[in-house]
Amino acid sequence: MGNRAPGNRRSVFSRLGANRDLRLFLLVLPLLAFVVVTVMIPVGQFLYRAVDNDLLAENLKLTAASLADWSPDQGVPGEASFRALAHDIRNAREAGTLGQVAQALNQQITGVRNGFIKAAMLVDEPDAVTVEDLTRVIPALGEVPLWSLLKSAQSRWTDFYLLQSIDLERDQAGAIVNVPADRAIFRDIIWRTIAISVNVTLICILLSLPVAHVLANARPPWSGILLALVLFPLWTSLLVRTVSWIIILQGEGPVNATLLFLGLIEEPLRLVYTRGSLYIAMVQVLLPLMILSILSVLLKLPKELLRAATSLGANWWQGYWRVLLPLLSPGILTGSAIVFVFALGYYITPTLIGGPRDQMLSSYVAQFTNKTLNWGLAGALAVQLMALLLIAGLGWAAFRRLGRRS
Amino acid sequence: MFFWPNLRRRLAFLHTLVILAFLLAPLVIMVPISLTSGTMLTLPVPGWSLHWYEVIFTDSRWTVALVNSLIVGVAATALATALGTLAAIGLSWGRFPGQQTMLAIISLPLVLPIVILGVACFSFYASVGLIGSRLSLILAHAGLAAPVVVTTVLASLKGFDRNLMRAGASLGAGPLMSFRRILVPLVAPGILTGALIAFLVSFDEVVIASFITSTEHRTLPRQIFSGVRESISPAIAAAAIVLVLISGILLAFTSYIERRARAHKAGGK
Repeated sequence: MGNRAPGNRRSVFSRLGANRDLRLFLLVLPLLAFVVVTVMIPVGQFLYRAVDNDLLAENLKLTAASLADWSPDQGVPGEASFRALAHDIRNAREAGTLGQVAQALNQQITGVRNGFIKAAMLVDEPDAVTVEDLTRVIPALGEVPLWSLLKSAQSRWTDFYLLQSIDLERDQAGAIVNVPADRAIFRDIIWRTIAISVNVTLICILLSLPVAHVLANARPPWSGILLALVLFPLWTSLLVRTVSWIIILQGEGPVNATLLFLGLIEEPLRLVYTRGSLYIAMVQVLLPLMILSILSVLLKLPKELLRAATSLGANWWQGYWRVLLPLLSPGILTGSAIVFVFALGYYITPTLIGGPRDQMLSSYVAQFTNKTLNWGLAGALAVQLMALLLIAGLGWAAFRRLGRRS
Repeated sequence: MFFWPNLRRRLAFLHTLVILAFLLAPLVIMVPISLTSGTMLTLPVPGWSLHWYEVIFTDSRWTVALVNSLIVGVAATALATALGTLAAIGLSWGRFPGQQTMLAIISLPLVLPIVILGVACFSFYASVGLIGSRLSLILAHAGLAAPVVVTTVLASLKGFDRNLMRAGASLGAGPLMSFRRILVPLVAPGILTGALIAFLVSFDEVVIASFITSTEHRTLPRQIFSGVRESISPAIAAAAIVLVLISGILLAFTSYIERRARAHKAGGK
């Protein structure tokens, strides 16, 4: 090292390992910063919307302050709170945020939106506004729940949406209770998302095992051709494949046409927009990933394993079940983790090929953002989805560690 | 009798054929439908015609979408490849704290449910005033594709002998020159593979596009997506075939490059 010419810049550069590592870190930095700014922070902000109460906290300051000592069992509060609310409404109108505030309140108590918009006309002189005036345009002010909601503006955070996303709410006393059965929909959606993902994973495992064995035992050039055929769908558009299934399974599609031609059915079956069609499309998309995961482990195992087991007196099933399958389990586990995690987040396929009862969490995240602009609830459902992914990831890591130890 | 080994092997083979047919059916079925002379997405087709290919290459809705897809794909690929290659070199050669965490952060877009990313992009680009612009989609797709580039370049750097860089330096090459004349040519197959897959990621992406693009900037998958919901016509099938063909060509090209690189290495040149 010391032999280098003193004028060579490189000698300084390579002498200091720390300096070199700093330079290499600077190569990582642009992408890291890019992902943090365009992915991490936006996703974090979206998830934060699940608990974000800033809008109400900012715009209903006076009302919330006037309710500091109030509690729901006291009934509707006194005139001072009505007057504070009139001030808040006027301030929000001046700031141009009244529409958003009314919308946010409406998400928690349906039907109050128009009242708050109409109240904007009454509050030019907030101190002259009477209890009767305000109650006339916002009838809900004559009842306790709206006042409880207004009092919640004391905090910059709310648990309303997170509770709502698992069919819970707070009663008048503030205790967490189940929502009435007719409004409970989200637990059903979460279970459905889990059930569909588990079923797709199980179907993929069952269908993949024989294929992986055939691929592992095939001789070139067949092994290469078979593998390419399995891989090819992986590289073609998910959207295209989903659209194809709609065409194949529709009323006039080839499946129904064949069944009609064979005389097996009298009239076309309703195959598309069902849970069955959703499974078909999802398995078709995710199956290659499972086959690859199992194949990668299978190729490393000696081929004579099963024969050794059977020669020691086990029948074929025992040999497969007790010897081969445990050795394949790392591949099955990795494949299951990949398939399950992808399946949990599925959006395009259920939207296009599932019926209304087959939609998964992602569809509702999109729906509450696009259609009802209920960002709090969309954020809360996104939090549930992320929680499921996290549990799946932790479960996979735990299983893997367990497998390594034994 | 059932466990007779030959029969079992034949059943497994039959099962594999059925599965292959199942995997390939949705792709195969698009070919005749795109060539139909009718106006419905049904089989068997009433007659053959190239009409629907003419539609997607002349109807402005489809041509605009195709051009947009290419522009977004190329720009996002360029950005993802530049950022991803640099990051992979840094992660592969550097020894600094938090490397695993950095790789995890960079890989985040791969595991995030796409809808969450789409909604997050929507509110982010709305807040910076870029919503509906082509730039927003390019940036979003670059983030989605960069982890793929990082993975492939990391893999090809594993086989790179770093003494070559030292040899270059000892002969007086500066860091930039070594990078350009030694490193890039040798890991080029990895970079190119990463770039091609990055392009496919962008070219096929529909969810983020449907959240953040305006009608004038809609991409090909986005146009197919709205086509499925609004007006089902065989043009969708023709567009799908074009999408698959472009993917297929790029993929064949990728494997050709990889094979050539391997032969090159084996040849000892």
